[in-house]
Amino acid sequence: MKPPALAQALVAVIAPASDYEIVAGDLHEEYLRIASLRGTKAANRRYWAQTLRSIPSLLSYSRSNASAPRRVGVALIALAVLLAMLAIDTAVQTVFEGVGQGPHWLWFGLHWMIAVVFGAILALLVRTDGLRVAFWTALFLVLCFVIPAVAGHPGSQAPLVAWILLWGVIPAMCSGAAIYQIARRT
Amino acid sequence: MAKGEYLGEFEHIVLLTVLRLGEGAYGATIRAEIEHVTGRSPAIGAVHATLERLERKRLVSSWIGEPTAERGGKAKRHFKVEADGISALKHARNTLERLHSGVSLRDATA
Repeated sequence: MKPPALAQALVAVIAPASDYEIVAGDLHEEYLRIASLRGTKAANRRYWAQTLRSIPSLLSYSRSNASAPRRVGVALIALAVLLAMLAIDTAVQTVFEGVGQGPHWLWFGLHWMIAVVFGAILALLVRTDGLRVAFWTALFLVLCFVIPAVAGHPGSQAPLVAWILLWGVIPAMCSGAAIYQIARRT
Repeated sequence: MAKGEYLGEFEHIVLLTVLRLGEGAYGATIRAEIEHVTGRSPAIGAVHATLERLERKRLVSSWIGEPTAERGGKAKRHFKVEADGISALKHARNTLERLHSGVSLRDATA
């Protein structure tokens, strides 16, 4: 008897690095107990309910007491990954502009795919809590464009399509980090 | 007791449950005991987030146990109430008793 794989993957994505094994173990133990008392279907339902209800709490804390040098190191890695991603993104855009402007969805897919890959690379490099680091890194990138625009900087006005593309980087980078985290933890 | 050190309702419940369970206190048993005694069914994530907060306040301490087969080969984190946790529980009970004294719930109307 095994808990639902998708719910297990969700736990691997949302649980803080230091508590993943503990939370997954608690859920597994309860799963087996309920499965033996009330059957697999009830145990599956309970596992899903517990996982979904735990999302806000598990995202709200981290047992990490990383030292200041480690935090600075993570910030520098995140910055380096962000710069590399922007460089690749610009290079790809330059190459494809020579070919000709395609439909929006193609551009969105291409840019977001790059963000997914770099989200995974970031999670690989920082090792612990990659999803959270990817989220804050992507948010930092978005704010770098949003703040000047809100402040009315004339060079930062862009069409709606560009904003959709930019905000999409957050879920894209988080997805990449989540995929890495699932592969590593489960 | 400083303002930030008062126990929230759920913190109070979790701390008392850890004390009730003694050596058998870890995430799954704490969650099950709360459900059994109070009728509330907390999410395991909420229990762990609360335990982490209590540990940061130094009211409980924890240590990692051995992985076991019934947990899919995963370890448990055991919890124990510390002296500051006992003091916090006594303080919470005294506060409630003082508030209750002189109040008759039988005559009270909603």
